[in-house]
Amino acid sequence: MSRHLLRSLALANFIALAFTSHALAHCFVGARFLPATLATDDPCVADEMSMPTVTRVKTPDMPPAVEWDISGDFSKRITENFGVTISQTWTHIRQPDGTLTTGFQNLGTAFQFQVMKDRSHEFALLTGLNVDWGHTGSTGSGLADTFSRITPTISFGKGFGDLPDSFSWIRAFAVTGQAGYQIPTNSFDFTQNVFIPQQLVYGASLQYSMPYLKSEVIDLQLPEFFNHLIPIVEASFTTPVANNFGNPYTTTGTINPGVIWVGSYFQVALEAVIPINRESGSGVGVLGQLHLYLDDMFPTTVGRPLFGGTSTPPRKLTF
Amino acid sequence: MRMLNFAISALLAVMASTAAEAHAFLDHAEPRVGSTVPTAPREVILFYSQNLESAFSSIEVSDANGARVDLGKPRINAGVMRVGLKQLPPGTYKVRWQVLSVDTHTTEGSFSFHVGK
Repeated sequence: MSRHLLRSLALANFIALAFTSHALAHCFVGARFLPATLATDDPCVADEMSMPTVTRVKTPDMPPAVEWDISGDFSKRITENFGVTISQTWTHIRQPDGTLTTGFQNLGTAFQFQVMKDRSHEFALLTGLNVDWGHTGSTGSGLADTFSRITPTISFGKGFGDLPDSFSWIRAFAVTGQAGYQIPTNSFDFTQNVFIPQQLVYGASLQYSMPYLKSEVIDLQLPEFFNHLIPIVEASFTTPVANNFGNPYTTTGTINPGVIWVGSYFQVALEAVIPINRESGSGVGVLGQLHLYLDDMFPTTVGRPLFGGTSTPPRKLTF
Repeated sequence: MRMLNFAISALLAVMASTAAEAHAFLDHAEPRVGSTVPTAPREVILFYSQNLESAFSSIEVSDANGARVDLGKPRINAGVMRVGLKQLPPGTYKVRWQVLSVDTHTTEGSFSFHVGK
């Protein structure tokens, strides 16, 4: 197996972990709507589907290979506060000499529990266990590992709408973040003769909600298209922290500036993918996603929890 | 390309078949969110993106001291909710609302407007 291919596969693995192994949820916390983010997770369970998420990046190789990842995920609430996500990615890597490597990454799942939602402070907290199942992808082509990866994860989201009115347009900002500790089920890869490190997987987003600005702060009477936009910057990193003997403890990751257009039933997102260092990729990539809100599209069928009745049972509203 | 056309067509079909069911977002309000009006309004009117369930939707308007200045029960027609106001002196007023859209999704929010120059 060539060195170029190995580096390409390592990047493919990173992309798969970063973009597809986590739930993407339809997330309301009080007056705040936190959109489904692309490179990191948002802090809610929900009934949603991302189909597709398309990524184009260049690998760290010299000269770099061009990698396409096309992925989809489906999130389903089992109860009001517990949900499961299934995700899958198809990868296509073309080396500079024309050599092609294609196939599926390992199947990803996430089991998530909504710990809390504080409406008045626009704060949400989520815990999860992400599992990428070994031997479920194209192990023959080297795109999928023969072992599994288990990642306990915690995610949060916080809107700044609880600031005093004098903060005006600043109240439309929100942040989300996540951190997980990834544990492979094998400690040594005999095919590549390297240790398989345990890794810290973490990331965050800073977002500015134009819908929030219009409905909560000030209606600037902008054209309707702009009132649906959420400019966002995401960051996603992976740092080896244990069982990495003989390898550098180099952090890899990307910074993703972009924008999300939010509708009533779906959102569309486009982000640039900027590697933070040479080990994370070459040049600027691109990431796009169509994300469907199943709870709004099918509120009486797949858009509601399997157990526990409707997602938001009618209640007498009080302040 | 045929697959892409199929996917777009399927999505549009789904959207069309569910066009009346979603979270109700505040589309705009009178007085406008964050605005300053020279004369006191007689009522607050909220326009939503979806039709509302009147039995489970409410609105409250209060002054800077937290005292209620609305006239009580709101009137709701389709996606529009309105409530009458007492005579408002110049000042800052807070509108807080919660609504239930016809598909049982709850949304909520609040905003301020100002009376006076």
